[in-house]
Amino acid sequence: MVENLKGWLPVDAVVAEDRPGLSWLEMPDVPLAEPFFQETVDRARSQNGRRELFTEFDTLLQLEKTLDTVPPTGFIFHASRCGSTLVSNACRAITNSIVLSEPPALDKLIARLITDAAAHSPRSAIYSALIRALVHVLAQRRNGDERHLFIKFACCSFSQIDRIRRIWPNVPWLFLYRDPIETIVSNITNVPPWLLDSDRRVLASITNTSTTEVASMSLEELCARTIGSLYSTADRLANDGGMLLNYNQLSVPVISSVLKFFNINPSSDELETITRTSCTYSKETSRAFIADAETKQQQASALVREAAAAWAIEPYRRLEEKRMGNHE
Amino acid sequence: MNNLVPGKHVVVTDFDGGEGILVDLNTKKYYQLNETAMVVWKGLEQGKTTNEIAADITSAYEVGLEHATTSVQRIVDNFQTYKLLGAR
Repeated sequence: MVENLKGWLPVDAVVAEDRPGLSWLEMPDVPLAEPFFQETVDRARSQNGRRELFTEFDTLLQLEKTLDTVPPTGFIFHASRCGSTLVSNACRAITNSIVLSEPPALDKLIARLITDAAAHSPRSAIYSALIRALVHVLAQRRNGDERHLFIKFACCSFSQIDRIRRIWPNVPWLFLYRDPIETIVSNITNVPPWLLDSDRRVLASITNTSTTEVASMSLEELCARTIGSLYSTADRLANDGGMLLNYNQLSVPVISSVLKFFNINPSSDELETITRTSCTYSKETSRAFIADAETKQQQASALVREAAAAWAIEPYRRLEEKRMGNHE
Repeated sequence: MNNLVPGKHVVVTDFDGGEGILVDLNTKKYYQLNETAMVVWKGLEQGKTTNEIAADITSAYEVGLEHATTSVQRIVDNFQTYKLLGAR
């Protein structure tokens, strides 16, 4: 059966009849054109006649030996709501590129590293091997001419960057972040699934608290503690093959410098496409982009400001110092 | 010539600087192999005898032949215990 899965993509990690594994969708002809992988899957599913199936995880290891694939070109990590989709859309403008934008199966396997696999344990090695194989399969050459692979990870995955870099030690990575007050306002105004995750073990691990404590936190505090932790991780690792980018720096020349950091020299046509798409709202490209930093600052409640001050502003300040080369 | 070969129901993948992961597709059990066990597994894939694999180990690592032979045999015994090998 495995040899017949060329052109199929593992679209989610699921449990079927008590067996953990992967849900696959037949999509040899479907470009990953939407800002998020899941949106592409939804579009493909809306087209009649696409077959789906379930396999256990070992299928990935079998396919890793046979499928032609694109090795990773660059990784995009972020602290949520800070321009990472704009950057991944720019990567998509590069000819012959594959952009995997927060594929759910990858997010879930990395979450299992957090919840089920202590560092250096056999499980950690097994999950890491599965993550490598999953990316190999997701990045399979379905047209034959794909050359670049960019992966935008879900924000919580950044907490596992040490283990991700152990799998791919030489892939350049970017960490995007934004003023914590603006980030928290954005997240509590339109609450993302990661902040509502009913399995609180991931956020408990990131915030170094217990699941009971996570359950008792306001969204403001939980968001502030999470992004504060992500800032600290970035601060610790930024000199080790990483690039830091603040939302307030985002511009076409800066995005071009990110691509060069990923060893890509965009052509003039590609830069024109990036310029055009960067004027639209990255997650809904039919909407014009409007800068909203000032609005978000004005919208911040006292609770947002308290949470940011307690948990996020100091690590943000340290990260900014490091980005600007003033870190002592 | 060795009579033991990796079972067709087993998938192996390299991982993390010489270590590896084995999956038994029949039982769905996963095994983490250390560097030495991976050398043994790859030797068996190449049809080598346990003595030949032990000799390979002595040339790659600072270990005597007797110690290497004992280690290889113990690892092969483990593979057999877990039914990861087949006959040629």
